[in-house]
Amino acid sequence: MSFDFAVILAKLPQILSGLGVTILIWIAGTLAAAVLGFVIATLRRFGGRPVDVLLQLPIEVLRGTPFLVQIFLLYFGGPYIGLRLDPWVAGLLGISIYGAAYYAEIFRAGYQSVPPGHVEAAECVGLTRNQIITAILLPEMALLVMPPSINMAVILLKETALLSLITVPEMTMTVQAIGSQQYAFVEALVILALVYWALVELANWLGRLAERNLSKLSA
Amino acid sequence: MTWKLFSLLLEASLMTIFVSTVSILLGLVMAIILSGLRMSGNRVAYAGAGVFISFFRGVPLLVQLLLIFNLLPVIGITLPSLATAIIGLSLCTAAYQAENLRGGFEGVAPGLIESAEMAGFTKVQSFIWIRTPIALRVTFPALVNEAILILKASSLVSVVGLIELTKMAQNLSASTYQPLPIFASAGLIYLAINLVVAWIGRRAENALPGLPSR
Amino acid sequence: MRKHLFAAAALCASAVMAHADALDDVMAAGVMKVGTETAFAPFDFIDAGTHTGLNMDVFTEIGKDMGVEIEWITLDWTGVLPGLEAGRFDVVAGPATITAERMKRYRFSSPIAEATVALLACAKCDIETPEDIAGKAIGGATGTAQLAQLQEFAATLDTPPTSISEYVSFNESYADIASGRIEAVANSLPNIAFVASQRPEVFKVVKPAFGTPTYFGYPGRIEPEYASLMDKIDEILLAMKADGRMAELQEKWFGTTFDMPDYITEPNI
Repeated sequence: MSFDFAVILAKLPQILSGLGVTILIWIAGTLAAAVLGFVIATLRRFGGRPVDVLLQLPIEVLRGTPFLVQIFLLYFGGPYIGLRLDPWVAGLLGISIYGAAYYAEIFRAGYQSVPPGHVEAAECVGLTRNQIITAILLPEMALLVMPPSINMAVILLKETALLSLITVPEMTMTVQAIGSQQYAFVEALVILALVYWALVELANWLGRLAERNLSKLSA
Repeated sequence: MTWKLFSLLLEASLMTIFVSTVSILLGLVMAIILSGLRMSGNRVAYAGAGVFISFFRGVPLLVQLLLIFNLLPVIGITLPSLATAIIGLSLCTAAYQAENLRGGFEGVAPGLIESAEMAGFTKVQSFIWIRTPIALRVTFPALVNEAILILKASSLVSVVGLIELTKMAQNLSASTYQPLPIFASAGLIYLAINLVVAWIGRRAENALPGLPSR
Repeated sequence: MRKHLFAAAALCASAVMAHADALDDVMAAGVMKVGTETAFAPFDFIDAGTHTGLNMDVFTEIGKDMGVEIEWITLDWTGVLPGLEAGRFDVVAGPATITAERMKRYRFSSPIAEATVALLACAKCDIETPEDIAGKAIGGATGTAQLAQLQEFAATLDTPPTSISEYVSFNESYADIASGRIEAVANSLPNIAFVASQRPEVFKVVKPAFGTPTYFGYPGRIEPEYASLMDKIDEILLAMKADGRMAELQEKWFGTTFDMPDYITEPNI
């Protein structure tokens, strides 16, 4: 058995377009997931007990079921209840909602880590709720939520590979399809391994950079 | 969705539970060894463990599994499906668990280790009997989380020929052409398993001795 | 250095093994390993929990005639051909459409069914002839010979289809007909006839077939040491065709029989 990467790399434009799709959905989906997760955690923190309990249910369901099942039901099941989404929209929405459930838990832990005294003190000096969130809570939890946030971004990157199921032309399927057309199966896998590894290391590096800057800020 | 189909899904979920449980436990042992290597003070061991963790966290599980399945036979190692699945899942979760444990090991009060060494513990002994139990206790919630992630990730092992819950759902929808009720049921079974795992995790957390104060 | 020696030794070992005769190996082991996927009805599928289909019956006959056990190794289709090349099994059930391109890479058995491409449409859709896909959203499975033929056919229409979606496998494309996103999928007649027979309220077969006549065969290794095994399989398949066993099985699984050449030497695609 000999290895021939040239036959795959000959299709570089296709690979790059798959990579572009993966990166686009990954970044947009992760950002949307983080924002949505933060909103959910904030609602649970300040919305009172009923809101807190009500929001817990969807979070448990989203975290307890595989993304594959969720995206399948959203895309192929949606039309039965009048929700006919394009592959891209469904993919982005799916990643965002799945990720939001995890980010909501990350930010909830973040809120819990801030001593209640700090919030009370801020209330005493007359800060509004929005000011308390942006000036006290967010900066204080930033360092704590950073590592799990990066971890989650990495997990979401790998979940984007499942979007080929709903015809989004992301990288895994693109490269594997080229691999089977050219009968270069193992070579395709090696290329996928290297590209994903590089993306994950890039995310980790950005995370460490952010952590360092944050700890300088809070020092 | 008939009872017959649902019971087939339930049966297949036993395979999901089996491979996940074995892999999580094997992964935990490997993660402890990796942590030991990283703290051994040996440069080569440290770098080796670092590359291992980086690789298995960075490369998608699907790709890892297919590489183990199709690349190893080239050098004469042909592993059966079940072994491939368990090895792939364990290596992957070992890397994640080692990262989770890191925080736990860093949190062990230096005084404890010093007093252990003064009491005559060797480095290895204090690693096994003092630091590891404390790190495990501190990071227990992360272990439960990881267990749930691996239960879900085990749906990928079907690429190497194992019939677990997701594969059974795919098989059944490919012969009945009614994928929606079948996938919804599979989702419910995953949810039920994971809620049980989370519940056991909370019970165990309460039953474990409290954390040592700093 | 030791590592290199080990790798060289391993390569040597596999080279030596590769020079053995595949038929002798199978006969000596008393087992023939067959790789397949189980989501390809009516050839291979899980019916009420049991692996069944035409392949199961055909290979049972082959095993009986050879006097060996058949061991099934079931993977996702993406893993099946790589598994064959990695030496995980002796032959693939599948089957796959016999094409000129694939014949350069694999040795195909004598054909076991027609693979000619036709359309599966939603039962209530306004598609009565293949040409009716003009201006409609349709689909196929990525990387398949059937999709290539659909694209070729679509190019001959005055009004092309609005879109041709590519799915990871045919099963997702069927789900998308049911969801209403696409109106038709191109796949081989035996497969879609089975789909339509299972859920006639959702799917219908659009006749006539638009593709050029093609056939399904079982792919095996092309290396000379596998020739004996593939010859043996062909011998048994031809005997089954001659004595009516094959026609019986086709009737059982497809509800019809196909006229097939004994060998495909120059496929139409």
